[in-house]
Amino acid sequence: MREVSIVGVGIHKFGRFGEKPFTEIGVEAALMALKDANMAWGKIQAAFCSRVNLPSTTGLRVLTQLGRTGIPIVDVEAACAAGGAALRQAHMLVASGFCDYAMAIGVEKMPRGFIDPEMLYDKWQVHVGLSQIPMYWAMRAQRHMYEYGTTVEQMGMVAVKNHKNSVHNPYAMYQRAFTLEEVLNSAIVCDPIRLLMICAPDEGAAAAIVCPSQEAHKWSSKPIKIAACVHKIALYPHTSAPAYTGSAKVVSPFITEYAANAAYEEAGLGPEDLDVVELQDTEAHNEIEATEYLGLCSEGGGGPLVESGATEIGGRIPVNPSGGLISKGEPIGASHLGQVFEIVTQLRGQAGERQVDGAKVGLCHVLGAGGNCAITILKR
Amino acid sequence: MASEGEAAKRVPIREDFFTTPLWPPEQVRLRGLRCRSCGEIFLGKNVGCQNCQGTDMEDIELSRRGKLYNYTIIRNRPPGNYKGPDDPFIPFAVGFVELPEGIRILSPLTGCDIEDVRIGMEVELTVEELYDDDEGNQVMAYKFKPC
Repeated sequence: MREVSIVGVGIHKFGRFGEKPFTEIGVEAALMALKDANMAWGKIQAAFCSRVNLPSTTGLRVLTQLGRTGIPIVDVEAACAAGGAALRQAHMLVASGFCDYAMAIGVEKMPRGFIDPEMLYDKWQVHVGLSQIPMYWAMRAQRHMYEYGTTVEQMGMVAVKNHKNSVHNPYAMYQRAFTLEEVLNSAIVCDPIRLLMICAPDEGAAAAIVCPSQEAHKWSSKPIKIAACVHKIALYPHTSAPAYTGSAKVVSPFITEYAANAAYEEAGLGPEDLDVVELQDTEAHNEIEATEYLGLCSEGGGGPLVESGATEIGGRIPVNPSGGLISKGEPIGASHLGQVFEIVTQLRGQAGERQVDGAKVGLCHVLGAGGNCAITILKR
Repeated sequence: MASEGEAAKRVPIREDFFTTPLWPPEQVRLRGLRCRSCGEIFLGKNVGCQNCQGTDMEDIELSRRGKLYNYTIIRNRPPGNYKGPDDPFIPFAVGFVELPEGIRILSPLTGCDIEDVRIGMEVELTVEELYDDDEGNQVMAYKFKPC
């Protein structure tokens, strides 16, 4: 297997863009990535497009605008982990020597408000009302509060931090700071989760171009190595959406811990080596929990971690310097590649006012329906 | 006991979830499968054991009483084709209920104020009508209530 590097990244701002078609949204990210690598489209030998809410041949329709070069363009879907699954395909193809230049691109245009529940749940679950995605994280949050004393204020601090970071991210949807009081006083969606603690589905795109590390300096003065790129599905018992049963007898590692262990092993690195993290903050509690399962703090220590300021830019381990999904919104198919864009930018030292000083190693984490989890570890 | 005519009009939201008859409700139990290899319990039908991939499963009836493992309150009308009270929508609690057999079942909670729901509270199965379907049948679904 060959070591693989990212030599170009591109992004289309996350947000709401009215009638702008996904083909235009996607191609902007692709063009930006090609320009970043100073590479012609004709050089790319395979492309994988992650999307969840868009039609068949989304990637083909986006990328053949640049020319029909005959290469395979394959759509990939794995819920919120789709972008990780796409990058993993590109990574494997180049690592194995099947080709030298591959693109992973995530594109999404989500409907407004709640996602159609019948995309995810059985009809009977929808009829009963057991079909609100935030409720699963809210139930986990309640249990976390019960077991570890985590507070609503700590969840609010996650949202305050991420919204604050997004002010400096031109690609984020909101770019607006909120006070803790504003977050805590926003409407309750599912107790204890408040509206300003939750991410909104939206639109956007992001892309990455990969090649063998030994070729990387031809294309980029600051190539970023892929140390690990894993995609896992939760072991039994899985109790997030759309599960309706769980087990009090079988104990297995939570999916983030399970995937993180695999990623750390592949990278030969551990959580202590990380300088910056982008993780799935579907709701604020999700970030608290993920910091624990990624090994950034002890079990139950996620609340005190954010309260200590350690996850702020300038803290011990900055989390979601981009503003996270809470402020960027979640264009599901594009969200992981958006994280990759952010970490590549951070490791190149090009993140401007949201830069984490001296960042050398970064991790991207997404987690979604069915227990789909992808983790990419990047290093310079 | 309800008459023949009335009983015929009650249908389960999922046939494999309940013992029959569906009346009287206090005698209905949830049913499922137990894996003969690892002992894991599943609600309703399952192709095989999700825990150990075993295929030797036996039918079981589940306890009617359990404890609330976690919960939240649904404050807004659930999206899509929700069949509960809709005009106006009535906020309700949901949670995973842990039964003595070691299975946790996600369920709406009823019979108590949403502000009084607590982790660890003792709850009991109740089978209630959720809605009338197009043929005029009463569609019966499970909930848990404090006991």
